[in-house]
Amino acid sequence: MRLLLVLVTLIVIGAIKLPVERDLAVIHRQEHFRGVEFNLDLREKLGQLGFIAALSGFRAIVADGLFIQAHVAWERTEWSRVLLLFRHVTTLQPRSILFWDMAAWHMAWNASVAAMNDRAQPRLALRVKAQREYFALGKDFLERGIKNNPDRPQLYEALARLYKEKYKDHERASEFFAKSAALPGAPRYEKRFSAYELSYCEGREREAYERLRQIYDEGEKERLPTLITRLKFLENKLGIPQDQRIPDRAP
Amino acid sequence: MADPAIAVRGLTKIFPVPLHRQSIVAVRDLDLRIEPGEVYGLLGPNGSGKSTTLKIILGLVSPTRGCTEIFGRDSRLVKSREAVGFLPENPYFYKYLSGEETLRFFGRLCGLGGAGLRNRMDELLALVGLTNARKRRLGTYSKGMLQRIGLAQALIHDPRLVVLDEPTAGVDPAGSREIRDLILDLKRRGITVLLSSHLLAQAQEICDRVGVLADGALVREGRLQELIAIENQTELIVADASSDLIEEIESLINRSNAKLIERRKSTTTLERLFLDATTDRQEP
Amino acid sequence: MSNETVVAARHRGVSFSRVLAITVNTLTELTRLKVFYVLLVFALLLIGSSIFMAQFTFQQEFQILKDISLGAMSIFTSLLAIIATARLIPQDIEDRTVYTILAKPVPRFEYLLGKIGGVLLLLAISTVVMSAAFLAVLYIREQSVLHMTLRQMSSAPREQVDDTLRAVRSSGLNLDLFPGIIIIYLKACLLAALTLFVSTFATTNIFTIVVMAFIYFIGHLQATAREYWLQEHSSGWITHVFLAIVALLFPDLQAFNLVDDIVAGTAISLGVFLKTAILGAFYTTIYTLLAVFVFYGKEL
Repeated sequence: MRLLLVLVTLIVIGAIKLPVERDLAVIHRQEHFRGVEFNLDLREKLGQLGFIAALSGFRAIVADGLFIQAHVAWERTEWSRVLLLFRHVTTLQPRSILFWDMAAWHMAWNASVAAMNDRAQPRLALRVKAQREYFALGKDFLERGIKNNPDRPQLYEALARLYKEKYKDHERASEFFAKSAALPGAPRYEKRFSAYELSYCEGREREAYERLRQIYDEGEKERLPTLITRLKFLENKLGIPQDQRIPDRAP
Repeated sequence: MADPAIAVRGLTKIFPVPLHRQSIVAVRDLDLRIEPGEVYGLLGPNGSGKSTTLKIILGLVSPTRGCTEIFGRDSRLVKSREAVGFLPENPYFYKYLSGEETLRFFGRLCGLGGAGLRNRMDELLALVGLTNARKRRLGTYSKGMLQRIGLAQALIHDPRLVVLDEPTAGVDPAGSREIRDLILDLKRRGITVLLSSHLLAQAQEICDRVGVLADGALVREGRLQELIAIENQTELIVADASSDLIEEIESLINRSNAKLIERRKSTTTLERLFLDATTDRQEP
Repeated sequence: MSNETVVAARHRGVSFSRVLAITVNTLTELTRLKVFYVLLVFALLLIGSSIFMAQFTFQQEFQILKDISLGAMSIFTSLLAIIATARLIPQDIEDRTVYTILAKPVPRFEYLLGKIGGVLLLLAISTVVMSAAFLAVLYIREQSVLHMTLRQMSSAPREQVDDTLRAVRSSGLNLDLFPGIIIIYLKACLLAALTLFVSTFATTNIFTIVVMAFIYFIGHLQATAREYWLQEHSSGWITHVFLAIVALLFPDLQAFNLVDDIVAGTAISLGVFLKTAILGAFYTTIYTLLAVFVFYGKEL
């Protein structure tokens, strides 16, 4: 009798708490918590047991374990394993900038170089193709990382560097440095870097000049050697009148 | 007239047995009335419903039918337990507490504290003879010592009624005698005692009145002397009588209508023998 | 003397000092159970992991240190809550101490409040001790990384040094960890209250522990079940009823696993913290009340 009453109470309370819990879950997700929970891909990737373990308060620890495994795989240069493990790690812990960044770095910087130096593959064309594939994998990690962390500057910066150093795509590099610079917590140099990259883009010199000049005018602290070099380069290229040019550095 | 210490009216307790049709009747239609100052023994074999009755009186188990009262207060009320001290059968207390800490804990539960509690603890430890063992953990206590600390905790809030469930079960004769003396001491101080036992000899020594339970029902009740007296028999115990004198008495009996049933040498009890032998050794 | 004590013993409906006596006694009981060995294991884990992580960069090291410490804290406090609570009532009944206590003028709810109070106190102490150990290790590591960075970068420009030091600090101790730890504690409180509730109608503590292990895992999947149920997927009615039962009867334990994301750098707002904390306190209260209700009907 009493147990029946308890059961009824539990159900009634359950009905009351249900919308509360649901609202809370929505708020949690709005504020970037619990991104993993409803990700059903994960279940396929980790298997049922790993999925339950991952959701039972072991998520971060499982991710760290896989990350350490990835680290070991990297030391052994087992690139496909590094890729697979990082896919799991980033799925488990999508709010960790570090994991996305490491994953992209391993692909675009380490694996790509290894592919280019692969002695088992005598044909250059195929080595270049493999290298491009690893660039793309790195880019893909960063893009997905940004999708999960649109509010934080670090991955935009990493993507900008990838465009700059691997694809030599200064325009995209400039764009992502600028996006990074616009977010709270971004280092001051992002804005400068964005302008530097723009200064290499054919046809956008005027825009680049104006942005660099604006940074220059912000004060002595911003007048770093690279900034002055790029400004002078653009002044020459754009034929800026002498009286508007920046002074030569005192000898 | 004052409220009785305990009043039990029409008490029935049925325990349902899970997954079975029939259920167990532990107590059936029991009526009891225990007056203040009495020592009442609830006797009966194991499983006769003694413990269940005590638990219902203490509000630990709810009755199926009927009601129980302590000094006029319904047992189901927490307030009724202000006037009762209880010593359960084979009590275990928290092994990690010392005798003193145990009393302090139970004292706090009764709302005592400060100097009042400290004095009461000293008094009770002296009463049950555990002053020297007060700092020892209960894990190191013997069965008899546990029973005595149990009695002390039952008395901590100076109750008017003490309920003892098998107070001497598993205790050696010396320990059991100490407990008996403590109960008699309570009686002298006007505290009502309700005890259950299946050891009849002990009950006989201390109870004013007894009730005999069998299968949950009260089958006999009354003053002990009245219950066990054999109305048409008389015992004479004579010391230093010559055999002539004995023969003379016997012939006197034969000449009357009376009949001599038995003639024997007086014996001491085994308990007496045991106590004399062991106490001599302990205290030379 | 006797009269004084009788006056002092005058019964009050609710007595904080009685609850406190039981709380303190329960805490003593639990500490004698050597549950604090769990804390020792935690310390070893902490030290072990920080030695092992020498091969990583400081960001990696700090993240793994925080993940492992807070993950272990979450699991240990949950385990402690379940195992410590599961035995309290059955043990007292088996040892008959419950008779001695309830034969005193102690209402049953005070007895249960005292018991759960002891467990919550134990959990609080454990959480504080583990947090202190974790924060100490993190602080020491952070300081040594800062010193090393300063030494290595002694010739670098000022701005670069500042940026690096800021990076070290931001990946080290993070104030958002504290609300995260409080949520871990509240989750353990919830589990303790739920265990107390289960133990009031369980007959053995093994049963309670098994049921709680089951609840623990289902509770973590409750949110998934709830969303499926409410989204009216085209599943059979059996699945539907099953999902409804899970969603209604089980608490959403996932709501209290915020610390993983906090370690990864997600900021926790006061609103989210308070709402989550209130949900935890609500569950703890409800389950304690239900435990009291069942316990009042229990034949001892």
